[in-house]
Amino acid sequence: MTKLQAKNIVKHFDHNGTSVLALDGINLDVQEGDFVCIVGPSGCGKSTFLNILAGLEKPDDGEILLNGKPISMPGPDRTMVFQEGALFPWLNVIDNVEFGLKIAGIPKDERRQISQRYLDMMQLTKFADSYIYQLSTGMKQRVAIARAIALDPEILLMDEPFAALDSQTRDLLLVELQLIWERTKKTILFVTHNIAESVVLGNRVEIFKHRPSKIKKEIIIDYRRPRLAEDENLRKYQHEIIQELKSEIIEQKKAGD
Amino acid sequence: MFYVGLVIVWQLVSSSHFLSEQVIPSPFEVGKALIMGVKDGSLVYGIATSMWRLIVGLAIAIAGGTVLGIFIARYETVNQTIGSLLLGLQSIPSVAWVPLAFLWFGKTDGGVIFVTSIGALFAVAITTHSGIKSVPLEFIAAGKNMGASGLQLITSVILPASFPHLISGFKQGWSYAWRGVISAEVIFSVLGLGSLLNLGTKENNISQVIAILIVIMFIGILVDAFVFKRLERSIMSKWGPR
Ligand SMILES: Nc1ncnc2c1ncn2[C@@H]1O[C@H](COP(=O)(O)OP(=O)(O)OP(=O)(O)O)[C@@H](O)[C@H]1O
Ligand SMILES: [Mg+2]
Repeated sequence: MTKLQAKNIVKHFDHNGTSVLALDGINLDVQEGDFVCIVGPSGCGKSTFLNILAGLEKPDDGEILLNGKPISMPGPDRTMVFQEGALFPWLNVIDNVEFGLKIAGIPKDERRQISQRYLDMMQLTKFADSYIYQLSTGMKQRVAIARAIALDPEILLMDEPFAALDSQTRDLLLVELQLIWERTKKTILFVTHNIAESVVLGNRVEIFKHRPSKIKKEIIIDYRRPRLAEDENLRKYQHEIIQELKSEIIEQKKAGD
Repeated sequence: MFYVGLVIVWQLVSSSHFLSEQVIPSPFEVGKALIMGVKDGSLVYGIATSMWRLIVGLAIAIAGGTVLGIFIARYETVNQTIGSLLLGLQSIPSVAWVPLAFLWFGKTDGGVIFVTSIGALFAVAITTHSGIKSVPLEFIAAGKNMGASGLQLITSVILPASFPHLISGFKQGWSYAWRGVISAEVIFSVLGLGSLLNLGTKENNISQVIAILIVIMFIGILVDAFVFKRLERSIMSKWGPR
């Protein structure tokens, strides 16, 4: 079943009077339970695309369908894990995780039950009462993931959530995220510019072109899980993606950004 | 400790008779005036009335100023029309509102409270505005993403995210409000610490005047220590040292 459909998404930005075409007709279907990664050169519009899916930005053209119905507003059915986490420093860990549940009007007991479950899954139980500044970067990303999943979204949107992590923490979270995905059967759309990361996580990797951006190619990764970053058998997929991206990076250089 | 030293220096200055008792009374005389005030109840009553007016005035200023600040921050047209007017209004010293308060309310509690709140209100509104403007967009995006919108977005994301900023506005507001209360009381001569100052002047009782000044100062120190230092500490414990 198709969970999310992006139809011909176009987005311009105004740069000091000149209009820059960031997204030039993105078409993407995401099936229920799928794990889709998006890679592409920096500035090609990956975050913009995710923000449009989340309803945080409006496309100039095209539409987004969730379960076949068009969406326009932000909503807890498409929760996002932001690159920097965007955790709330005035709330402790457990209240951060419960934020959306509280907004949804879920009673306190039930909220606690749900948040405990995800804190547990993320191995954060001991830090439930800590404030955000007391956490390491890796722990913060775990909280951000717990906060997004706790709302039981139709689709989980992740914008380079592991970019700021050291490689050990990242490798650990790459495995954890696969386990969580298998356990929760969530549909995940994951943006990264780390190619190794994309082949470890994705069932499919969508390669974005340099601006004006389109989907250049889709690579299917049919390989057992949980996958490890150092798995030799993933190399050939990585190589394939690098070949596709190389020409884009040359394009990007030519364009001078 | 510092204050003990200060009193000793004061005692030395006054006992040197370099300046007459009429200019600088001895700490002993001032202490006597304080005790007198406590005994006949005028001081306690004065503190209570002034504090009561302060609290009501400040509450109005914080509530009104915060709402006003939110409006200016959320609606660009409101900012462009009222924003600069607000800066002008904020530059008016509290005392300058006294004549208007007199004409509108007479020498009543209402008049004093008007002066108290109006001086603080604009300062609170201005810091609320700048506080809200400085909220990182990612917090707002995250809030919307998790389903918050409208008033809920304001109360559960925007205000808490700007709270460290708001505190400095409240602090400024409180100091304006405190000045406002005392100024209005001095001029209106309605019961309160301000009118006790007035009374001291009329009776040519310099000890009482200085005693009241000391009380006013100490209330300022206590409010800072017990209200604002606490709030700041609680923010630090959540946001981390910054
Ligand atoms: N609010 C904005 N105003 C103007 N231009 C914008 C805005 N947001 C994004 N852009 C432009 O749109 C293009 C795509 O930006 P976006 O952040 O989506 O790229 P990205 O693929 O996520 O890059 P990165 O990998 O570096 O995160 C860039 O050229 C950027 O300058
Ligand atoms: Mg990005």
